[in-house]
Amino acid sequence: MKYLTTAMLASLMCSAAVAVAAPDGAQLYTEKTCNACHGPKGDKPLLPNYPKIAGQSAAYTEQQMKDIKSGARSNGQTAAMKGVMHLVNDEEIKALSLYLEKLK
Amino acid sequence: MNRNPNMKLSLLLVGLLGTGVAFAGPPAPKAQGIESEGYTWNAQEGEKLEALGYTGDIVNGEEAYEICGACHLPSGAGRPDGTFPQLAGQHTTVLIKQMADIRAGLRDNPTMYPFAISLIDPQELADVATYIESLCIPVEHGKYEGADAALQINRGKQLYEKQCLECHGKNGEGNKEKFYPVIAGQHYKYLLRQMTEIRDGKRRNANPDMVKVIKPYTNEDLVAISAYQSSLTMPGSMCKPKAAKK
Repeated sequence: MKYLTTAMLASLMCSAAVAVAAPDGAQLYTEKTCNACHGPKGDKPLLPNYPKIAGQSAAYTEQQMKDIKSGARSNGQTAAMKGVMHLVNDEEIKALSLYLEKLK
Repeated sequence: MNRNPNMKLSLLLVGLLGTGVAFAGPPAPKAQGIESEGYTWNAQEGEKLEALGYTGDIVNGEEAYEICGACHLPSGAGRPDGTFPQLAGQHTTVLIKQMADIRAGLRDNPTMYPFAISLIDPQELADVATYIESLCIPVEHGKYEGADAALQINRGKQLYEKQCLECHGKNGEGNKEKFYPVIAGQHYKYLLRQMTEIRDGKRRNANPDMVKVIKPYTNEDLVAISAYQSSLTMPGSMCKPKAAKK
């Protein structure tokens, strides 16, 4: 309970604060299990029809993640990814996209 | 003359489709489950039966588990938010059945399917299952966290003892021979999701006997039962989380 209250307070404070440190993309990448399908460095996907995402433009990755999460994009292999998209919010999607863009 | 462009287009399409097929992973099959007449729960056949007959090699199992650990964690604990279930200490029979069902397209799980089929053969199913069963059930896991937890757990206990206990056991230990899972130590949100899907016919490899029992339960009932189940402990099989090996 105490933990929950703290967590709730923390999330309230996060949304209220103007300048909060962006989430760590590298940490999110493993924590949210992206690495399981796309490879530890985003360049070795589990299946040949899963994309290599290392070095992809952040703007593109961010939009794809948002569309897969919302269901606006539902073709191809997205069913596999939709199952985990509830794990990330918009801010985390952005952080992940920026992290991936920097990977070679 | 007029047909030439069409032919070119067809050839191009064939080429594209061909390429697509060549590079695509195999799509998940769809086997006939509980929605179809003549469905037999847990039919003893195919690679499941074969895997059940093998003695699992725990060393190879640990190696093969590596790919599973990215989502289910090296400890087997899964995630408290219920996205990925707690696996540690689960009966080999249950693990083999669920993996085989996912591989056969009897339990739909598009996220896990490609991982499940990466296990090479029935022997490896047995190996991984044996390794997972050998892990101790973490004490810490996702529980019901509402302010009314005590009430929910108490109400869930009454419901559980009436109809669930007979198969799933006093401490949630399940029944290895009957393929009934260990539910002690499982995440509240995973239990709630699975029970809801079993009740609503979405978990297509479900046991019709359980569906019959769970059908009349309301969402509120399932919340209470999940709250109680996730409070269960199995004496002697649970452990404090320890630092990852190596």
